[in-house]
Order: sequence, then structure tokens, then C-alpha cells
Amino acid sequence: MSNNYFNTLPLREQLAQLAKCRFMSMDEFSDGVEALKGKKIVVIGCGAQGLNQGLNLRDSGLDVSYTLRAAAIAEKRQSWKNATENGFVVGTYQELIPTADVVLNLTPDKQHTPVVNEIMPLMKKGACLSYSHGFNIVEEGMKIREDLTVIMVAPKCPGSEVRAEYVRGFGVPTLIAVHEDNDPKGEGLALAKAYAVGTGGHKAGVLMSSFIAEVKSDLMGEQTILCGMLQTGSLLCFDKMVEEGIDPGYASKLIQYGWETITEALKYGGVTNMLDRLSNPAKIKAFDLAEELKEIMRPLYNKHQDDIIDGTFSRVMMEDWANDDKNLLGWRAETAETAFEKTPAGDVEISEQEFFDNGILMVAMVKAGVELAFETMTAAGIIAESAYYESLHETPLIANTIARKKLYEMNATISDTAEYGCYLYNHACLPLLADFMKGIKTDVIGKGLDTTDTGVDNARLIEVNAALRSHPVEAIGAVLRGHMADMKKIV
Amino acid sequence: MTQILPSHTEMNSIKIENYTAVFGESFTLNNINWTLEPNQHWVITGANGSGKSALSAILAGAGERISGSISGLPKHIEIISFEAQAELIERELKKDDADIMDVISEGTPVREILEEGKAIYPEFDSALLDQLVAMFKLEPMLDRSFRKLSTGETRKIMLIRALANNPDLIILDEPFDGLDAASMQLLQDLLKSKIDAMAMVLVLNRFDEIPDFITHIAYTDQGKLQHSVDINNKQAYDDLYQLLHLKTTELSVPATDLSDRPPALNPNDPLVRLTNIKVAYGDATIIDGLDWTIEPGQHWQLSGPNGSGKTCLLNLITGDHPQCYTNNIFVFGMQRGNGETIWQIKQYIGYVSTALQWEYRVSISLRNVILSGFHDSIGVYTKSTDKQKAVADQWLALLGMKDRANEPYNQLSFGDQRLLLIARAMVKHPTLLILDEPCLGLDDINRQLVLALIEKICTSGDTTVLYVNHHAEDQISGISQFKQLEKLDAQSS
Repeated sequence: MSNNYFNTLPLREQLAQLAKCRFMSMDEFSDGVEALKGKKIVVIGCGAQGLNQGLNLRDSGLDVSYTLRAAAIAEKRQSWKNATENGFVVGTYQELIPTADVVLNLTPDKQHTPVVNEIMPLMKKGACLSYSHGFNIVEEGMKIREDLTVIMVAPKCPGSEVRAEYVRGFGVPTLIAVHEDNDPKGEGLALAKAYAVGTGGHKAGVLMSSFIAEVKSDLMGEQTILCGMLQTGSLLCFDKMVEEGIDPGYASKLIQYGWETITEALKYGGVTNMLDRLSNPAKIKAFDLAEELKEIMRPLYNKHQDDIIDGTFSRVMMEDWANDDKNLLGWRAETAETAFEKTPAGDVEISEQEFFDNGILMVAMVKAGVELAFETMTAAGIIAESAYYESLHETPLIANTIARKKLYEMNATISDTAEYGCYLYNHACLPLLADFMKGIKTDVIGKGLDTTDTGVDNARLIEVNAALRSHPVEAIGAVLRGHMADMKKIV
Repeated sequence: MTQILPSHTEMNSIKIENYTAVFGESFTLNNINWTLEPNQHWVITGANGSGKSALSAILAGAGERISGSISGLPKHIEIISFEAQAELIERELKKDDADIMDVISEGTPVREILEEGKAIYPEFDSALLDQLVAMFKLEPMLDRSFRKLSTGETRKIMLIRALANNPDLIILDEPFDGLDAASMQLLQDLLKSKIDAMAMVLVLNRFDEIPDFITHIAYTDQGKLQHSVDINNKQAYDDLYQLLHLKTTELSVPATDLSDRPPALNPNDPLVRLTNIKVAYGDATIIDGLDWTIEPGQHWQLSGPNGSGKTCLLNLITGDHPQCYTNNIFVFGMQRGNGETIWQIKQYIGYVSTALQWEYRVSISLRNVILSGFHDSIGVYTKSTDKQKAVADQWLALLGMKDRANEPYNQLSFGDQRLLLIARAMVKHPTLLILDEPCLGLDDINRQLVLALIEKICTSGDTTVLYVNHHAEDQISGISQFKQLEKLDAQSS
């Protein structure tokens, strides 16, 4: 069994690695793709990330080919089709890995250990191995041959978006890191930067992080606010509305598209803007609900973060991997059977504002989840920049997936680690909020406040506004969104 | 019992059907279909020589009918035009010639000219005539010879006479031409006061002269009635405005920012050389064995049925098709697959297609859409120079969108978006301008506009145009090379 790399480090080093995260300046990328020019890049895996990153790199003038398992080639599987129809050279590990200067491992986390064990002996001396997720190195303790350089380049968006933004002439925010134990020639950073340029990431902003900070923050964000909170919130809000006699079709639609609409406001202007979309009485209501939710859920967030930091989460999940994903697949099937999942969105018109007005509880859940995840991460030593990206920044992406595909497909689409963590969160959070939900009525979910009187107490409103605006996630958010807006005028 | 109020005239619909007429030796009005309903007041507009005067004149019986019919014309029609004015002056001159007595003829006095209708038309309105004479302060010239009046004065006299004749239909060809602002306002007010008494057809060059009582606009181009627009249709009205603006403005393609040009190409190289191209998806072959060379300055039209691979072929050139790396493609001095980036290729290309318009889903200003053409991006992510901004503004002016520079692009009509994307494609004076069915999905008005722009671009200089379409009527003059693609039998394995 594997050894958790993080747990082998002294506390001082653990804290130093967790705290690594720096927003890089555009002029740090003036060398473009030079460090990769003329090098042979071989991508392992041709799914959404693999294919789209490869397309970008090739269009940036780099030499890209794909290596797949012999079986995938022989059976002409989808990954083989993806690569060949796009005009890439495809070959087996034995054929291509020995020729590679840089190997991009873009397979799912679960396959990392067998894949890396298989390719490592085939790799050229002094070549570079790149990951897009640090799980294998950090949680599974994979030891990479000493002569190899190990880097991480992780675009913070789905593969399709990585491509679409590149084609527009832009890119997606990208996190890069160098595994310091594996940087024998000191070229890791130069390679990672060139790779980020090749995918267009430098135009949208690059965070220089560490393998550890990436893993510990990524796991935390995805299983709590991003996927877990939205899943639990969807189920609770739907059941409550139906119980209160609201048309199930309406309830289903309000939730399926509501997360996307309210987190769109979050994306543009943070938690503050999301709550500013509500009337004053509704804002105060959402604020109070969020405070209550935070108090109830804080121990759960702490537990998730603790389990992630000490490796319990990955150990338990890997046990399920070893058990043919029995838990994961069972939980996925359960999701398909929930009332929300089985009720199609009704053919009713819901205006953009109505999603806010009738979804006060959903707004409160997003606020509580974002702030709790952010607070918990930073309390664990993760720097605010990382915590922001892994909580607030990515929430709209998952909300968008739910809008398109609801929960079952959302879970099937996200990474295995995210999905597993999402179910753990959901199982713990549903009973945790049972009492809280008893007090919920349709004024905060489904119908909106009775708006005959929108008057509020001045002092209370000032208090709420001040509390919203002074939360640390808003401070760092303003800075990072400012960077983004400078670069991405289209937002 | 319902009493029907007596109306001035029993105006019927005037129906012009499939009407073709020639005017002199060189001008033909072609296949006109036009219906003027009672209570409608029309403006006919169009570029010089487009046939707008001729169209108005056929109502008054001008032109030699070749085919078609006109029905429902009212009994009494007055037309005021340069031609009518010339005729009247000619008549007066003849009178002079006819006077064989050896005395200097003073010609017909203005008063007589004005009152000619009194004996002819029972509906002649003497009171109105007096009122108009007073209004335009013409008393001092009533006894002067009509012949001796200036052109502008003659015009005024004719207008007044026509109105006093109190016709069922009055046709005024450029009635405001040569009038000062005050007279123009006077005349507009006067016409407005008569809209219930007579139908009006005005021929106008300028949109801003259209009086507010006008209900419909007819637009002529090359001897055809191209568009009939209800003035309440804001969108169609705006489009027509732009079109007229484009047709009547001395069009020149704005200069570009020369400080940011891509590396010069070897003039002896073709711009594009495709050799034995093959594109297939799985077992379906789309293109097989195609060769094509585009030399600098050779404008091409590419046609072919749906599915014949037109867009695919263009994407091989632009670098947007992934199989460009598996084919023998030479573009802008680069053999594909040798470490060049797509941005190195795109810097030589301006590109418009419906797919681009679908992909161009960003809420940026009109100006920024045009500026993005300098950077080959969708949206703007690079700072633009002052020169580039100035060029963008020239394009906006050219499109008649000058005052809308900061409006959001995504709220524009489809046609306006397309126009902007064409400007975006042209703004850097690309070496190769690729227009993939630029008129697709456009209404008639916008199609005319786009075609007019492309014609200008074809003749403007250094840009080679590659134009894809399959509508015969959307031919562009200036394109002499044609490439036809055929659909392959799909399942060849």
C-alpha cells in the first residue's frame, strides 16, 4: 500500500507547502513556449483534458502525440478515435514513451499509480513528467525516478473550455507547480510556464502553487461547497418545496437552473453581489439563514478538512478503488433515484430575478458553503488565493454542470475524487440539516417573501452589509477578480 | 343609417405588377411589384441612378412599358420633378419661339402658371393657392415671367401649383432640394396638413429629410424595387438607413495600423497551396485528393452543395481544422506542421462565417468587436493602440454605427452583428479575406449591404478575397476564379 507523501514531511515543511500560492505576473511568461520548442511531448490519455490540452499545445507550435494502452488502440476505443481524427500520431507506451522529452499524464487519478509505474521505466533519462493533479504524488506517495523532472499544470476549467478559450485567443486560469523532490536540472518552472503558455493559460492568470497546496485545497473545495453542498442543497430544497405543495416541475426547475443563476452573480461580484441581488428583507433573511447554516455545518467542514489533511479521506477512497468502486457506484445509483433527479424541470418561465427572490435558502446555502470552505481551508494553512479558487471561483462551474445535466450526470462528469467526497459530504450533511429544514417554509424556498412591505431596520441592514463585505473571501476575491478583469475584458 | 363621410377622392389601391419599362436608351425599371394602399404616404429612396425617380414617374405615365400592368391609378396625379420642371421650362421657351412677332416676349407670368389648373380641375383650390402664395411670400413675383425665375423659385412655383391643383396623388421628386431650412420646414408642414386630402409619394436622397407623416419607404437599386419598408418597423428602417448610407457615401475602406503588420510574404509564393488534400472522419471521407492554389490578388469564389466540405476546406487554411496537420498545406510561407502557431497563420487572415458569429458570444462594445480583428481573437485581451481605435471608429462610421460604438454587441440584430464581423475581418487589411457565406441568414437589406461592402473590398487593394456561397444572386463583381466542390459518396472506406 502507498505512503502518504504529505505525512512524511515535518510540520514546518507541511505548512510551508500548504501556504504556497502566488499570482504570477504576465511578464514572467515572456519566453513563451520556448522551453518546450522542439521537444517531443507525449500525452497519456485522450479524454477531454488530454485531447483539448494537446490541441492547444499543437496549435502553439509544439510537437504533440498520444500514447494509449495497446488495447485501446487495437479496439479503436473513443480515446483512439479522439486522437486519430484530430490528426495526431498515436502509439503504445512502448512505442512513444521512450522518445518523449515531456510526458503529460492526463489520465484519471485512479489510474495514476499503474500508469506511472508502467511508463516510468520507459522514460528517457532526464525527461519531464507532468501531472494535472497532485493526488498521485501527495496522497499515494508515488516516488518518481530521481533523474526525472516532475511538474504540475492544472487548468482550472473543464477540457472543453480549455480549448474554447484558447481558440478565442484567451485561456483559462491555470495552476502550476514543481515537485521540488524531482527538479534535478532546475528546469521544472521553465517547463511548467511554457506548458501554461502553450495551453493559453498565461493570458487568464497563472497561480504558482505546490503539489500539496493543490491537492489539499482541491479535495476540500470539491467535496464540500462545489459538489457536496450543491447536491445536498438540491435534495433538501426540492423535498421541502414538494412537501409544501409547490408544483414539482417548478421546484425542479428552480433548483436545476437556480444554482447557475445565483452563482453567476457570485462569479461577477462575490458573495456580496450575490446577496445584493436580493431585496433588503430577503438579504437579511438569507444572511441569517447562512449564519445558522454555518454554525450547524462548521464541524462537518472541519472534519472534511481534517480527513483530507491527515490522509484519511484518500485512504478510505482508495480502499473503495481497491474494492471495484462498490461504494461509489452504489451511491451514484442512489443519486439517480432521488425525487429531484427523477422530476424533470417544468415548462414554466422563471425570470432571472425570480431565481434569487424565490431561492433565498439556496443563496444562503451557497454563501454558507463558500465562506465555510474558505475559512476552513485558510485555518488549515492553505493560503487565501488557493482557498478562493477552490471554493468561490469554481462553484459556478459545477452549478453550470447541474443546470445542464442535474446531479447524476454532474457526479459522473466530475473527477472520481470529487464524486466520492461529494457523497461523503451529502450523507453526513442531510441528517445534520434535518432539524434546520423543519423550520423552513416556502417564503425562503419556492415562493419568496411576502413583499407587501420591504422595509428593514437601518441598523440591521448596515450590520449585514458590513459583515458581507468584510469577509476575507471578499477581500481576496476582489483582488483576484481584478487581475482577471484586467486580462479578460469579456467577463 | 350610417352616413359615409364624403372623402376628397375615392382612392383605390394602386397596384403595379411585374412591370418593366424602359426610359430612354439606357435605363430599365425591372419587374416592379409595388402596391400603394390608400392612406399610405411613401418615400422612394436609393442611390443615384438606382431608379427611384423612374419608379415615381411610372405612376405619372413615364417610361415605355415593356410588360406588366399598373392598375388603380387615380384620375388626377401631379408630379414635380426635375424632368417636369424641365418640361415646363421647355414649353415656355417654345411659346417664345412660337411668337413670330418681332417683339421680345415676356413669357407667361407666374400668376398664369399658378392658375392654369383652375380651368382644368374642378377640384382646384383657389383659397389654398392664395394661402400658399402668402406663405411663401410670392406676391412680388406673381407678375414676373416664369421663365426668368431662378431654378429654386421655379421649383417653389411648381410645388405650389401642384398643391393648389389639389390632386388625388402628388409625386414630389426631391421637393426639398435647393430649399433653405425655413422653406423646407414650411413645405413639410404644408404637406403634412394635406395628408388626408391626397396621397403622397416623395423621392428623397437623404433619410434625414423624411417627413414624419411618411408611412412607407421604397428602396430602389439597379432598376429594381429592392425593399418596401413600413416605417414603424424600426429594425427594417434602421437597416435601410445603413444601406442607404453605404450606397450614397463615397465608400473607401479605412486605412489600417501599419505599425503592426505581419512579416511580409514572398510575392512569388502562392498565398495558399493545398496538395492532395484528404479529410475523413472515421470511414466517411469528406475531401479526397483535392489540389488548390491561391495566388496573391486572385479573388476566388468557392461553391458546392451542403456537405461537400467547403467549410472544412477553409478551416484547413485557417488552421481551425485539426487535420491540417496531416495534410500537405502551405500557407503564407509556412509548410504546416513545422512548429508554426495558429496565431502566426491567423495574422494574415480575416475571416467571417456563420460559425464565427455563433462563437462570437461576448458582451463587448461594437468598437471592441472591430478591434478584436487586429488580434484575431473573440473578445479583446490585448491593449489596442490609439491608431487601431481610430481605425475602428472609421469602420463604425462606414457602417453607419458611429454613434453606437459603446453599445453592447450581443444586443445587436443578427445583420448588424454580421456587418461588424465583416469589418472585424477587414480591419487589419488581411492578406487573405475569407468570407464563408457572409450573407447566410441575412435579410434582403443586409445582404445588399454586405455585398456592397465586399465589392468595395475586392477592388480596394492588397486583400485577396475568398468568397463562399451558393446563391447565384449573390455574385460579386471582381471575382473571376471559381472552385466547385462536389459531395463525395460518403461511405467510401
